[in-house]
Amino acid sequence: MTLDVGGVARGLLTWEKQEHLVKLAILILAAVLSFATRLFSVLRFESVIHEFDPYFNYRTTRFLAEQGFYKFHNWFDDRAWYPLGRIIGGTIYPGLMLTSAALYRLMWLLNVTIDIRNVCVFLAPFFSSLTTLVTYALTKEIHSTGAGLVAAALISIVPGYISRSVAGSYDNEGIAIFCMLFTYYLWIKAVKTGTIFWSDHALGTFGLCQIHAFVDYLRSRIPKDHFDLLFKTLVSSVLTVLFVVGTLLTLTGKVSPWTGRFYSLLDPSYAKNHIPIIASVSEHQPTSWSSFYFDLQILVFLFPAGLYFCFSKLTDSNIFIILYGVTSIYFAGVMVRLMLVLAPVMCVLSGIAISHLLAKYIKSVDAGGSAKQGVESKRQHKKLEQQTGGVKSEVAIGFVGVITLMLIVYTLHCTWVTSEAYSSPSIVLSARSHDGGRIIFDDFREAYYWLQMNTPEDARIMSWWDYGYQITAMANRTILVDNNTWNNTHISRVGQAMASSEEKAYEIMRELDVDYVLVIFGGLTGYSSDDINKFLWMVRIGGSTDRGAHIREKDYYAANGEFRVDKEGSPTLLNCLMYKMCYYRFGQMYTEGGKAQGYDRVRAAEIGNKDFELDVLEEAYTTEHWLVRIYKVKDLPNRGV
Amino acid sequence: MKLLHKTLLSGLLVVAIFAIYAAAQAKPKTGLSLSEKVQNLVEMNMKKPLLRFNGPKFREYVKSAPRNYSMIVMLTALAPSRQCQICRHAHDEFAIVANSYRFSSTYSNKLFFAMVDFDDGSEVFQLLRLNTAPVFMHFPAKGKPKGADTMDIHRVGFAADSIAKFVAERTDITIRIFRPPNYSGTVAMITLVALVGSFLYIRRNNLEFLYNKNLWGAIAVFFCFAMISGQMWNHIRGPPLVHKSQNGGVAYIHGSSQGQLVVETYIVMFLNAMIVLGMILLIESGTPKSHNKNRIMAMTGLVLLTVFFSFLLSVFRSKAQGYPYSFLFK
Repeated sequence: MTLDVGGVARGLLTWEKQEHLVKLAILILAAVLSFATRLFSVLRFESVIHEFDPYFNYRTTRFLAEQGFYKFHNWFDDRAWYPLGRIIGGTIYPGLMLTSAALYRLMWLLNVTIDIRNVCVFLAPFFSSLTTLVTYALTKEIHSTGAGLVAAALISIVPGYISRSVAGSYDNEGIAIFCMLFTYYLWIKAVKTGTIFWSDHALGTFGLCQIHAFVDYLRSRIPKDHFDLLFKTLVSSVLTVLFVVGTLLTLTGKVSPWTGRFYSLLDPSYAKNHIPIIASVSEHQPTSWSSFYFDLQILVFLFPAGLYFCFSKLTDSNIFIILYGVTSIYFAGVMVRLMLVLAPVMCVLSGIAISHLLAKYIKSVDAGGSAKQGVESKRQHKKLEQQTGGVKSEVAIGFVGVITLMLIVYTLHCTWVTSEAYSSPSIVLSARSHDGGRIIFDDFREAYYWLQMNTPEDARIMSWWDYGYQITAMANRTILVDNNTWNNTHISRVGQAMASSEEKAYEIMRELDVDYVLVIFGGLTGYSSDDINKFLWMVRIGGSTDRGAHIREKDYYAANGEFRVDKEGSPTLLNCLMYKMCYYRFGQMYTEGGKAQGYDRVRAAEIGNKDFELDVLEEAYTTEHWLVRIYKVKDLPNRGV
Repeated sequence: MKLLHKTLLSGLLVVAIFAIYAAAQAKPKTGLSLSEKVQNLVEMNMKKPLLRFNGPKFREYVKSAPRNYSMIVMLTALAPSRQCQICRHAHDEFAIVANSYRFSSTYSNKLFFAMVDFDDGSEVFQLLRLNTAPVFMHFPAKGKPKGADTMDIHRVGFAADSIAKFVAERTDITIRIFRPPNYSGTVAMITLVALVGSFLYIRRNNLEFLYNKNLWGAIAVFFCFAMISGQMWNHIRGPPLVHKSQNGGVAYIHGSSQGQLVVETYIVMFLNAMIVLGMILLIESGTPKSHNKNRIMAMTGLVLLTVFFSFLLSVFRSKAQGYPYSFLFK
């Protein structure tokens, strides 16, 4: 690829045509590559939506595609937050859903009968292909065609961007980066050409540009001193008004822009000192150097080099990209998740650095070697002789070799990272068996399909909120709480049910009209993010409201203050509903060689309460690897029995 | 007559001295009565919201029997020689709780906050069989502290709010935390703005340096190095400078990709800077100069680039388990 970039400069007789051809080939390759490298999970598993939030997006998109926009806008969802329900149409940003629904319609119009799920799965890779093209256009405007091609190739596989845009991660980030870069491109185009046509497209993000154009217009109309006076008065008055209004609104509490998350961006240690809940989310952690390196690899040092080159040749668009780079690297340093914003500008600046260096040394490779005839136009040739003055071709060859090697290492690194770290859908799990093969755990989908096929249409399922979106989207059943955690009391009620004894829990479940209860259990397979490990959160949240005052966290710890499920564990824990549902019949299971029956592989302990029967529940279904267990809530017993 | 008077007087004096001495002797033996204790505590509390005890005082007010008040005691080691970083934070948080309690409407003589420093009363630590600090303990009005009377700071931390929650759990006295507003950041900001402003004002006739792109370029590139090498992470998390490795030596590089050490970030910054320097040398070698000089520059740049890139790869490899790629060095 890098040699091709040099090839652009080399050219032959039909120089322009060849250049176009090579350029087009590189671009298409980069776009295809960026699509293909995101398909690891599809090839390994199936075309599935990933994780939790994307399932909600998928469900709303399906609704929009099937029912149309007006129904979507008026949609009141009675499948979630039973018995409260949730207004969806008016409360979410429908950009993502509209995009995929429009694409879906377009495909059908062209007689491509694609499933809406596949549109959702492949939307993010598709948009990253487009991002590749836009990056090329943007870098071309800033620097040169060569730099644009390198940047496009770099961004197609950069892990910092892939982490949010693999096939199946159907979320806003997937298309946001494309939109952002496209806006920048339009803006730079507007600045360079000076036409308002381009900037009109970029309005919204860059309202300032219009103001600037207006100022320029005024400047041409009125004499200089008048203009200066006017300009100063206007600017100062606008600033004053903004400041006063802002202060007033903030003081009266009409707007509160200074939320904790925002503060923590400006003053990085704010979150640590004041809001532990924000600091505790893993996405809001600061970025260590190794995660910079993990997500960007050679870009981490190409980026400063690119900055240096931009500074040595300052133009308007260069200044823009420098500002973008420096601000985004600050924000990426504060929060890991903002790496996504940093990755594109890293690619752009690194592309500039690489092409700068390559363009120089490829020429001396030529000049030093058997000087090819008719290679350059005369002017270029002169410049080249001047430039390459003392650099011997051996050095040049060595340099080109090193850069090529670096790019190869970059490619290997990115592919490795994508394959190992960013391609697990978390709905289908995989593990390595002893002989190195892959074992697939597809229990989640198994359980959700069971629910869909074997329970009444209006059955109400109780589970912890993490699985809410997945149950509504895949099983199409009513749930009590989901990942949109808007009602803490309701979640707390579910937590209380899980943390109470069977009798207490039965009261709560009757009150909430629960038909089935679903728990995630990893003790057999060693899947560590299961409900027992999340259980303390259920206790904490359950005990945080008035009605859960009887639930105290310390009752669930063993005498020495540890959380344990074996015989030492606290009796409250060993008899609560969650424990019983997870470990029902588990006492008779052999899980690992050399260990007693009922050995929990996640907690590495033999469970403490083995022989018990369930009074108010009956086991309805347990999946192949026991990952998901579903229980049916028994009806009230007949009177007098 | 006079003599008799004198002897009588001196006798009285002796008796009085004896009586006082005896009283002074008897005082630590029998201990203060409950009301005296409470009164002393309240008086001390008037001066300081957070009482500071040494060994005997601790025994007197916390350990000995007649009590109708609860005690929240922080056992800590604040002396700089003890090198307990978190003790300082814990002390600040604890002081906030004690202050909030002292000046709140729920203040009464049923609950007191106290602290014992290891250097004032190491015997207290022996008595309670403690070998760590800080420890927060609740001494109930009746009976001895049980397991749950020691706050589990590993689980709940020692933020003022968690301490208040712990107190509420153990004593049913709820304390609303009131943090004194922190002006140090604002003051620092104002000073900085004033400094920059005055500097600009003094140089107002000669502001060309603001348009010096080399200056800005250097600032931007240095800023990038700082960010990329994880200085922000250091700023937020405050990791140690170096570690002791298992075999006794000093580890400069954290073993996992979850953490990093301060020295490590400087090493990485240096490696990155060297690679970038190599690139800059390579590109600058083209400017018209003598042949030899150009050649040396280009060669140096190339060597810097290759060697330090391989170094960076191996450093990363030592952190990320299972990372398969390396170059030149293992």
